Amino acid sequence: MLSLDMVRGGRAGFAGAFVALFLGVALVSMTALVFTSAGPRVPARYAGTAVLVRAPAAVQADGSFLADRPWPPETVRLLTDRLKAVPGVVAAVPDRSFYAQPVIGGRPDPGRVEGRPWSSAALAPHRLVSGSPPSGDREVVVEHALGLAPGSAVTLLTAAGPVPYAVSGTADGPGLYLGDAAAARLSGGVRVIGLRTAPGADLAAVEAAARTAAGSLGEVLSGDARAALETKADARTRWIGTQVLTAMASLSGFAVVFVVASTFAFGVMRRRRDLGLLRAVGATPRQVRRMVRGEALAVGVAAALAGVAAGIALAPVFGDLLVAAGFEPPGFSVRITAWPPAAAFGGGLVVALLGTWSAARRAARTSPLEALREAGADRRPMTRARLLLGSAFTAAGIAVAVAVAGTRPEEIVTLALLAAMALTVGIALLAPAVLPPVVRALLWPPSRARGATWTLVREGSLAAIRRTASTTAPVLLTVGFAVLVTGMVQTTAGAFALGRTAVVRAEAVVVPADGVPGLSDAVVAAAGGTAGRVTGDTADGGAGSTAGGVPLPTTVHPDGMPPQAALGAAAWETGGSGGAPRAGTDSPGEAGRARKAGDLPQGREGSGGPGTVVVARWVAAERGWRAGDTIRLTFEDGRAEPLRVAAVAGDAPAAFLLPRDVVRAHDPSALTPEILLPGPAPGADRLGPLGARALGPAAYAASSRDEDDRLVWLFTLVLVGTAVGYTGVAVANTLFMAASGRVREFRVLRASGATPRQVLGVVAAESALVTVMGSLLGAAVALPALLGIRSGLSRRVGASVPLIVPWPAVLGVVGACLVLAVAAGVLSVLGAARRAR
Amino acid sequence: MTTDAAKTPEPAAEVVLLRSVSKVYGAAPHAVTALDDMTIGFRAGTFTAVMGPSGSGKSTLLHCAAGLDRPTRGQVIVDGTDLGPLDETGLTLLRRGRVGFVFQSFNLVPALTAEQNVALPLRLAGVRPPGAEIRAALAEVGLSGRAGHRPDELSGGERQRVAVARALVTRPAVLFADEPTGALDTRTSREVLALLRDVVDRQGQTVVMVTHDPVAAAHADRVVLMADGRIADEMTAPGDRGDVGGAGPAGLRLRAEAIAVRMAALEGSC
Repeated sequence: MLSLDMVRGGRAGFAGAFVALFLGVALVSMTALVFTSAGPRVPARYAGTAVLVRAPAAVQADGSFLADRPWPPETVRLLTDRLKAVPGVVAAVPDRSFYAQPVIGGRPDPGRVEGRPWSSAALAPHRLVSGSPPSGDREVVVEHALGLAPGSAVTLLTAAGPVPYAVSGTADGPGLYLGDAAAARLSGGVRVIGLRTAPGADLAAVEAAARTAAGSLGEVLSGDARAALETKADARTRWIGTQVLTAMASLSGFAVVFVVASTFAFGVMRRRRDLGLLRAVGATPRQVRRMVRGEALAVGVAAALAGVAAGIALAPVFGDLLVAAGFEPPGFSVRITAWPPAAAFGGGLVVALLGTWSAARRAARTSPLEALREAGADRRPMTRARLLLGSAFTAAGIAVAVAVAGTRPEEIVTLALLAAMALTVGIALLAPAVLPPVVRALLWPPSRARGATWTLVREGSLAAIRRTASTTAPVLLTVGFAVLVTGMVQTTAGAFALGRTAVVRAEAVVVPADGVPGLSDAVVAAAGGTAGRVTGDTADGGAGSTAGGVPLPTTVHPDGMPPQAALGAAAWETGGSGGAPRAGTDSPGEAGRARKAGDLPQGREGSGGPGTVVVARWVAAERGWRAGDTIRLTFEDGRAEPLRVAAVAGDAPAAFLLPRDVVRAHDPSALTPEILLPGPAPGADRLGPLGARALGPAAYAASSRDEDDRLVWLFTLVLVGTAVGYTGVAVANTLFMAASGRVREFRVLRASGATPRQVLGVVAAESALVTVMGSLLGAAVALPALLGIRSGLSRRVGASVPLIVPWPAVLGVVGACLVLAVAAGVLSVLGAARRAR
Repeated sequence: MTTDAAKTPEPAAEVVLLRSVSKVYGAAPHAVTALDDMTIGFRAGTFTAVMGPSGSGKSTLLHCAAGLDRPTRGQVIVDGTDLGPLDETGLTLLRRGRVGFVFQSFNLVPALTAEQNVALPLRLAGVRPPGAEIRAALAEVGLSGRAGHRPDELSGGERQRVAVARALVTRPAVLFADEPTGALDTRTSREVLALLRDVVDRQGQTVVMVTHDPVAAAHADRVVLMADGRIADEMTAPGDRGDVGGAGPAGLRLRAEAIAVRMAALEGSC
């Protein structure tokens, strides 16, 4: 095949297209593999149980991962009895969990924070390796890998505090197992009942009978549907991972389509002279078309195959990185399935061919006389189709950017990305029309200076404006992405910081030690019981609510509502919050919503007493509750309790504010997140064994948002890293292709008396010009989207949000583009610059 | 002065015939007439040199005669085929089969070896040529040892000889050469011109060459001098009356000095 000969011979020319597609397909297939692997899995602790029944789960808002409503204890008894009676079922095992963490070598073990009743070990199943099952209140079965022999002593941190236990046995799987009665005292309610079946039981029949037995009280799960039983923590991590992967896939997918299509098109354009030559020696337009497409196919298949192989090889590595970063739950592993790489392969090939399509048509129309002309000026840089398409994309991009300002909060980011993408395509298409004035304006001052360099650069760029447009495009994309993503993250973060008027006025803050999920009651007692106070506060100084004592978070289930966050404290004061130490913990969105519901009666100043609840105004507004009403809340243990609404709080740190002892009574496993102290904290010798440590106000302020900041920062890094990394390669790639195609031209320059330095100077100056123009256009492309985000956020927060673009980071990206562009250009003509032939 | 050109030649003997051909570039106010109602024929087995000052229309003549460009008016007949009704593909097929072309800048496909370059027109025609045939074609131009080399590994003269081999590989009715020695030094120019003379003499090939060099033109049987899109003057070798292989000894050839004088006269008059 002729085209194969051409590909083999013209390796340098096709290398650029190969690299673009290879990296693109590798990136897309890797991301797609990880993405498709990120579904929920059957938790290992239920792996050995074919049929399980769970409490009905309420639909929660996107991004909310509160525990589902447990069954009331009497329902658990009823269901267990009914399910036990199903033929083939040996036992119906209610599963519950509670906080328990072994202290090994004086340090709480960060990998083991969950205790369960011994009976539920059979659901995995985990079996005894040594010793005997736990009996009584002070015996525990631990994982064999922990290295504790039966009979040895171990301290477990629980919600009450450190408790000494005796190891009665070791099991072949993870978990801490107490006797069923002891476990029930430490746990909240039951949400899952596992059915242990007799060997050889008809599982389908068991499942059907279980469905009848459970009726509307529970949902029967079997097979892969058991994946619905994953923990809320894992579900949340997976949700975050999906956000990251979605953003990454859409951003890098767009970059790949853009870069591959334009690189392949550019590759054809660069060879117009060769194609004219082929026409001159007898190739028909059809043959030229077929040849160009054949080359694209040959290069495309090779590059896409290599890319798929690299993607498959890298996907597990990338998956592990996501786990390490906290974007996927532990135990996540990449499943290599056929269709994501196949789709990346096919998609990459189609994009390459589409990119070549119109270029091939143009090439086929090349007159044989093109071959006789010296590498010339573009006579018709803008075709009508290009102008129309470019204008349409640009208009659509601006329209979407305007729409961002008025959209719903959860759609801001998606729309902003869309706007930027449309603008990128539009401006790139319009570049041959947009660039000449930019070139003239930028080069007006230097080209009036002495020396030929800038004149050569200006005239060279203007004459071959399509080439200039092609080399500018990847810089535009890179800088556009960098400005958009970093600006988006920073502006959004800034908007939330604006709502956070938190001032921590405390001498010390007690926080959990590393790897400990929260503080036990023992820590609270050690720190002085009711020493701390917390308030939610509105920016305009309106009604707030102040907690007397250390708040204890839990989840409650109002009738007819999804699960809600609640806080328990010794006392709640609403209305005037005076000079009490405050820590605002609310998000600006809820504050804004609360303030708008001004027609609701406000609770009188006072404190909630026993049997009362303070309701956040937005909840009261949604449910039509007023102070004095009696409402019913279901708690963590599945029990419901009627509570009188003592007050509606204009701003509350949680949906429901309860007495602390009510929370503790219903949620034995609840942990205190932190304690603010007005005086000095107890010493490390007292806090250490309890799994806590004390921080000064400065250290606390620095650490308070660490985890969120870290994730946001990583998220930005992953996005900018992959997208900008890829387009950065495209910058070098395109400039290399462009310069290496002009070796002849540079030889002429040498022959007309330019020194090698001057030739390299021209190339470097052209690369610099391309980088500067690409950066300007990139910033122009990102700006409308960012402005849209800003006005959208301002509307949401209710205050003017400043537009924050981290210029040092953006300038860093521009600098990197400059280095890449100049290096690629200079390296590719180094040989030609030396020779004058 | 233009008496020869005014006579309508016998069509049978003409491999290439242009009848009242005009070529105008550009639109009305800035229109440039490159060919002005030109009629000329090239007979089989002859070697014609077309000369003229820059802008005289000699290259346009060549492009129109070779089917690379379409005349604004008039008729072009190549090997008995009227080019007028042919579409772009038809024109390409005719060029591929019946016309060979050698360019000033060699115009070899840089990605292909000498052998592949020579085979290119046949392969474009869907023929897989036997390697022996291609190597023979290369041997004929004195490049038997260079078949596997890429253009950038060949000297200028060698490249042009590969281009000649490529142009002749389809056994075309006519070979057009546009300043074939324009980029070569004196010695290699002479080699290439001798090669062209040789294919005319030994194979009866028809060659039409555009040149500005009187020394190059002296290798031809007939020299046509152009000015302003018309034939301004014409010279014929004394010993050659159109017989195939009829170029006689050097004494019967046109002399470069005589051509230079006529050229100078032409340039002086305009």
